[in-house]
This record gives sequence, C-alpha cells and structure tokens, in this order.
Amino acid sequence: MKNKTVIAEAEDVRLAVEMVQLGARMQMLEVETRLSREKLLKIYKEVRGVSPPKGMLPFSTDWFMTWQPNVHSSLFMGFHRFFSGRGGVQGLEATLKSYHLYLDHIEGAAMEPVLSLTRAWTLVRFFDADLLQLSACTCCGGQFVAHAHDPVHAYVCGLCNMPSRAGSSRKKTARKAVSRTRQLVPA
Amino acid sequence: MDRPDFQAEIRELNLAYLMLAQQMLRSDRATALFRLGIGDGLADLIQSMSAAKLVRMASSQMLIPCFRFDDAQLARLMAGEGRDATSASLHAAILAAGKAAEEAA
Repeated sequence: MKNKTVIAEAEDVRLAVEMVQLGARMQMLEVETRLSREKLLKIYKEVRGVSPPKGMLPFSTDWFMTWQPNVHSSLFMGFHRFFSGRGGVQGLEATLKSYHLYLDHIEGAAMEPVLSLTRAWTLVRFFDADLLQLSACTCCGGQFVAHAHDPVHAYVCGLCNMPSRAGSSRKKTARKAVSRTRQLVPA
Repeated sequence: MDRPDFQAEIRELNLAYLMLAQQMLRSDRATALFRLGIGDGLADLIQSMSAAKLVRMASSQMLIPCFRFDDAQLARLMAGEGRDATSASLHAAILAAGKAAEEAA
C-alpha cells in the first residue's frame, strides 16, 4: 500500500524509527506502517547499523506462560489495559506507550527486559485474536496473562505461588543477559 | 511552645506536584493520566492553568497529592517485602497497573 500524502509518510517514518529504536523486527514494521520494504530496510540499517534479522517471528502462545515471561507480559498487558480502556489510545500507539512504561519500570528496578517490543506486539495480537486472556489471581487479585478459555475459578498467579527455583537463575545470568541486551537494543 | 506548622513545606510540595503534573500532561497526556491517576476533567483543568493560578492553588493548608492506593499489601510489595525485592516490585507494578485500569473503568 502506498502513502497518499507526504505528511502521512513522514509520520510513518517517525513511527518506524521509534519502533526500530525500541527493537522492532521487520515484520512488525511492515504491518504497522505503509512504507515500502526497501525504505524500511534503509531505516533499520540507519538506526541500528546492521541488517535486520531474518526468519519467522516466534508464533507460540506457550512462551507467555513460562514463569518469567508471564510476569513481564502481565505487567505490559496491565499498562495496555489502561491505555486501551481509559486512555483513549488505540492500536500501535497503545502498544508503544505501554512498552515505554514497561521499559521505564524495568530500568528503574535494574532488571533486564525479558519482553521485546516485537513480542509485546505479538502478545497484543494474540489478545485481539482471543488466543490469550487476562485472568484474575484468586490470591492477590492481579490480572495475569493466561490461555483463553482456561478455567479461572482457582487460578493463582506465578508471583503468589512462586516455583521454588524462580528468580534464582536470573541473578547468575543477569550480568550476561544485560551485556547481551545492550548490544541488541541500543538505548 | 514551638509549633511547626509545615506551611512552607506543604506549599512547596503542592507547587512542585502541580507543575510536574502540568508538564507531564502537556508532553504525553495518556501516560500522564496513568501515572497521576487523575480524571479527565481535572487533567484538562491543570493542563490549561496559568502559573499564577497554580501558585494560588498550591497555597493551601492541605497536601494536594495523596496516597493513591489504600492497600497495605500493595504498599508492602512496593517496599520490596516478599521472597525477593525484584519480584516484589514486579508484583506491585502489576497490581497497581490493574487498579489504575479498574478505577478508570
């Protein structure tokens, strides 16, 4: 699809730059903007200095169910729920605003981001497609990402009922992971 | 008898809060609504106020910003009480975000 006006194209370029800075992959850029693939490739290389990774996006909902990703995606979806419900913000804008808040929290707590922007965007699409839902924890009352149509009457979240080893591997790998994400996502 | 009345401190805090709120609202309204936890009407008002009006509004006996969530469990988690401080802060953030979305609805 081609852009109709120069102003709309400029807005798309601005969005694409912001998304690439936050770590978006090509598939996300192609869906969310109306720029040509060549132009997007150029933007990507200019912002990151390297060619975009090739290959398919992760497409399984199961990743969001493992302990650490589930906590991080529940936080992201908590922000997203506010923006799409009350903030009056829709679509990509809601995703970007929520992702900024998510990164702010992660940086403030000196953690490494587990959820990439592309994953977050996929998560929102899974919600739109009714593959995932938010379930209320019966213990703390928080809303957590869960498979759609899972029984919820006895749902207990991963933070109220922490698996015994959760969090312990994180400390050991923290240093490695931080240096890795720094390379991937230049702030 | 020495009786501290905290007037100056309260005025300073109120003014700092109001000015910050106005800045936040002007730069990114939706995010500011989330972070401040205020309604649309109040947000419109603060956003459009002149500096003189903000100063007048700040000189009150009472603190304008107040505790956002009347929830002791949440406050404990925010302070990092739990198995470890990192997951406690995540837990607190998830609960707080949920509450922000619900009070809006």
